[in-house]
Amino acid sequence: MSATLALSRHATDEPGGASEAAVQPSAVSVRGLQRRYGARVVIDALDLDIRQGEFVALLGESGCGKTTLLRALAGLDRLDAGLIRAPERPSVVFQEHRLLPWATLWENIALGHESRIGRTGAAHALAEVGLAGREDDWPRNLSGGQAQRVALARALVHDPALLLLDEPFAALDALTRIKMHGLVKELVARHAPGVLIVTHDVDEALTLADRILVMRAGRIAASFRPQDHTPRALRLRLLEELGVQSH
Amino acid sequence: MADITTSSSHSPVPWSRAGSWLSANRFYHGLSWAIPLLIVVLWEVAARAGWIAAQVLPAPSSVAATAWNLARSGDLFVHLGVSLLRAMTGFLAGGTIGLALGVLSGFSRLAQALVDRPLQMVRAIPFLAMLPLVIVWFGVGEVAKIFLVALAVLFPIYVNTMLGIRQIDPKLMELAKVIGMNWPAVVRRIILPGAMPSILTGIRYALAHAWLALVIAETLATTRGIGFLAMDAREFLQTNVILLTIMIYAIIGVAADALVRSLEARFLSWHANYANGGKP
Repeated sequence: MSATLALSRHATDEPGGASEAAVQPSAVSVRGLQRRYGARVVIDALDLDIRQGEFVALLGESGCGKTTLLRALAGLDRLDAGLIRAPERPSVVFQEHRLLPWATLWENIALGHESRIGRTGAAHALAEVGLAGREDDWPRNLSGGQAQRVALARALVHDPALLLLDEPFAALDALTRIKMHGLVKELVARHAPGVLIVTHDVDEALTLADRILVMRAGRIAASFRPQDHTPRALRLRLLEELGVQSH
Repeated sequence: MADITTSSSHSPVPWSRAGSWLSANRFYHGLSWAIPLLIVVLWEVAARAGWIAAQVLPAPSSVAATAWNLARSGDLFVHLGVSLLRAMTGFLAGGTIGLALGVLSGFSRLAQALVDRPLQMVRAIPFLAMLPLVIVWFGVGEVAKIFLVALAVLFPIYVNTMLGIRQIDPKLMELAKVIGMNWPAVVRRIILPGAMPSILTGIRYALAHAWLALVIAETLATTRGIGFLAMDAREFLQTNVILLTIMIYAIIGVAADALVRSLEARFLSWHANYANGGKP
């Protein structure tokens, strides 16, 4: 990994860390993260912890730094200051499916780890997302929702300790999105990774997350647990946080 | 033709639509072959009637007879074999160098800075303009001929390989990083397949150029090869042999194109445009 400043990436089973959450190990832990583009500070002194099995949604207006944060956690972006303690290889699902058009579905899922995962492992992952028996099909024969399900299978086949979702359903139609929400909930419950989903969609956050964070000007501005609120009240509150004046 | 149309008019509507579409397709396909066929027939008639002198344009049947005689004596295959060997050697030499330089330039900005400008400068020279220089360097033997073919092949393969690698979606490279693919796997699974359509386009151009180079190269002093057949025939005003060699060059060109098509069908089966060996 890049040897910038205090950046350290460890496996999840790190020693000690006695103080925090003794119940479940932390999937990712961020302290004092800063990221600048020239003079503009995109992420400023940000702290974040996600436990194993916890589903965290990150809301925010465009340009608030939420995608930059996700990319930093994925190891795709350098840090200017701070420390990230994350699994060496978190799985990522992007807004686009990013399937290789020249590889069959099973090859796409096992990509880069063909010998370890194999056709059987990939077939199992495909069945999990409801595409059993499509191992030898080509990505061009898939609908948008199906392609995104394969991307999800490719992420989960590694049994990641941390799953990062970068607006993965933004390009799907409303009905497909609802189906995908159900599927993701079910899969996350089974694999129990720590999840961070970056989204614009307040209802998506309410449906999926155990904890909803609102990011503003490079910081976590607010944090909510849906269980502590009625969905209606929280929805209004979140919209308010995002600067949407509801009647 | 008429049969199909009639029978289809008796079938239910969807079938008759499909049927008429099919027969229209066949009709146009037939028509596209009818014109060349008609020209050959007219040519034969004109030659037999004596309207065209045999010295200028011998009858197609006479060309066919020439081909048969040369094939029976085995001469045709010796010359053909020599020509194909020249083309293949030149193609392999030029193609390998072009591919290697293209991969280097596509990957590394340093390599591109070192390699690209001089290559583009040499590329600006029409390779046939190099002919006198090539003769001075290598004489008129085999090496000169192979060198010309290699030179003609090098640039299209170099340029298209480099472009193919450059055009690979950076998002896929990012994915490779996220997944933790090692470098050889990235080359094998992402870069080569991603650049393949462009590389095959390069090969298609290269084959056309190789042919042109071969035709010219074989007019240099030779004792064997299709070009020798043509030059020899010119000496003795055997127009039918000259025509035969022209046709052989055409047939080999078509065969080379078919070869690239089959490569495309094999390597680009994932691509909707090339699926089922379809035409691009």
